[in-house]
Amino acid sequence: MQYPEPLAKLIDSYMRLPGIGHKTAIRLAYFTVGMNKDDVKNFADALVSTKDKLKFCSICGNLTEEDPCEICRDPNRDRSKILVVEQSKDVMVMEQMKNYKGLYHVLHGVLSPIEGKGPEELNIKSLIKRLQKNESVNEVIIATNATPEGEATAMYLSKLIKPAGIKVTRLAHGLSVGSDIEYADNMTLYRAIKGRTQM
Amino acid sequence: MKLKNLELRHFRNYEKINVNFSDGINVLIGNNAQGKTNLLEAIYVLALARSHRTRNNRDLINWKYENAQMKGRVSKAYADTDLELDLDRSGKRAKVNHIEQAKLSSYVGQLNVILFSPEDLSIVKGSPSVRRKFMDMEFGQISGQYLYNLSHYQRILEQRNRYLKQLYYRKAHDRLFLDVLSDQLSAFGAEIIHQRIQLLAGLEKSARQIHWDISLHKEKLKFRYVTALKDKDLTSTNHIYECLRALYKKNRNREIKQRTTILGPHRDDIHFIVNGKNVQTFGSQGQQRTTTLSVKLAEIDLMKSETNEAPILLLDDVLSELDGNRQTHLLKAIQDKVQTFLTTTSLSGITKKLIDNPKVFKISNGKITID
Ligand SMILES: Nc1ncnc2c1ncn2[C@@H]1O[C@H](COP(=O)(O)OP(=O)(O)OP(=O)(O)O)[C@@H](O)[C@H]1O
Ligand SMILES: [Mg+2]
Ligand SMILES: [Zn+2]
Repeated sequence: MQYPEPLAKLIDSYMRLPGIGHKTAIRLAYFTVGMNKDDVKNFADALVSTKDKLKFCSICGNLTEEDPCEICRDPNRDRSKILVVEQSKDVMVMEQMKNYKGLYHVLHGVLSPIEGKGPEELNIKSLIKRLQKNESVNEVIIATNATPEGEATAMYLSKLIKPAGIKVTRLAHGLSVGSDIEYADNMTLYRAIKGRTQM
Repeated sequence: MKLKNLELRHFRNYEKINVNFSDGINVLIGNNAQGKTNLLEAIYVLALARSHRTRNNRDLINWKYENAQMKGRVSKAYADTDLELDLDRSGKRAKVNHIEQAKLSSYVGQLNVILFSPEDLSIVKGSPSVRRKFMDMEFGQISGQYLYNLSHYQRILEQRNRYLKQLYYRKAHDRLFLDVLSDQLSAFGAEIIHQRIQLLAGLEKSARQIHWDISLHKEKLKFRYVTALKDKDLTSTNHIYECLRALYKKNRNREIKQRTTILGPHRDDIHFIVNGKNVQTFGSQGQQRTTTLSVKLAEIDLMKSETNEAPILLLDDVLSELDGNRQTHLLKAIQDKVQTFLTTTSLSGITKKLIDNPKVFKISNGKITID
């Protein structure tokens, strides 16, 4: 016997999520069938609005409902520093630390030819434009992960930015080699940001 | 170090065995295709978490089963270590003293082995890639740092080769990024070259003496590390780094044209020189055998001096291939020092002295009996 079509489609959708295999997808699908209608509706709305309502900030590339994003609009942030991260979720991790008051720039990945990501595929051009337009920036802090690709990205950015006379530093201390920012705890990140090194 | 005990379940043609070994010489005797090499392979896999015969886990698991387990007790100067490796079709899990290790690099190195089989002649006779693999396997066992540098180097090399291809087909245009990849590759490449040269110097020192003795004081063995860099550039990691960078800069257009990285440790080689001549091209069969044996026996000394423990020696079918003189030197190198496992189909042709007091295991169709 086949799954009724709506159920089959739901199973197929769940399977598109990372880390979810066939069995888990079936379990989730049957669970969804058993949920009350309002909850299901909220769930579906939440899914759709991630696409309808979220966009990338035209200045920093962070995910936002309004463009420019909250951080770029905030007059109280320190406009002399830009912290460069791989993903939007890294901005959230940094913000939860509540210690960094500067601005951000989200690259949307790291340089990796194997995955078809060269400099043109990352959000790098807009960073350079930002630096050209805003004389107030005097430090760019690079917080890509300590993987070979994260390191290559950091080196590339520093070669690009340094000739303009802007200080480039790298988050290095505390983060173990090969680790992801996502998994680092606040204390480690705090130490990392204090101990950043000039490139 | 000694392997005191080995337990196998569903490994190759073994169902379930549990054997205690002698600290000295263990002889595995049996007809062809009974499981002698399989047992040596099991010890090798237990040590390195990979086989010398296959890249595929499936081959290691008994055809009738889905997974295999292997356990060994290793005794070292100050403590015993329990190693455990579980294999299934998709992967392996490694435990040291019953604690699972997240990274294989924290598992490899607990048990050091040197395997010597007739195919090892290709270290001398084969292509450069055989000799690079030889260095990477041996030095990776000795030094976790080496293994770390090597895996990073290979990753960056893959990225760089892909980028060269993209530049060639004009799918990419950024020369600055190529420079970054070159710098990164140079940094790890310099570490690898520097470590290789240092470890090879240690290996050469023992190999030269052994070769001199085996050849009855007639032949002088030397190693030459063959690389695109000049000898005078090899003095320090930093120097090697700067020279590699300069070479990548100089060869940039050539590399784009060829769509691949044409120089670096992944292209280097070793030449074995006997009395001033490269033994690969000019050596007699006998000289090539002596060289192979000397290099292999020198590995024992190198591992001992780098890790403070003698490794375990696995000799697959090599004994009967060595003449009396070479057997005697082998004996000298291992006697009372190195726990040895050797396979043979018969004891004839093997020096009496060598098997003076061995523990003999009869192997027949995946079953082991003590003689
Ligand atoms: N995964 C496996 N499951 C079951 N049997 C296997 C498996 N892999 C290999 N064999 C069997 O193991 C045997 C080969 O064993 P091995 O290579 O140890 O022989 P050997 O005793 O060293 O022989 P020789 O003296 O010819 O070198 C073959 O008969 C082969 O069919
Ligand atoms: Mg065999
Ligand atoms: Zn923004």
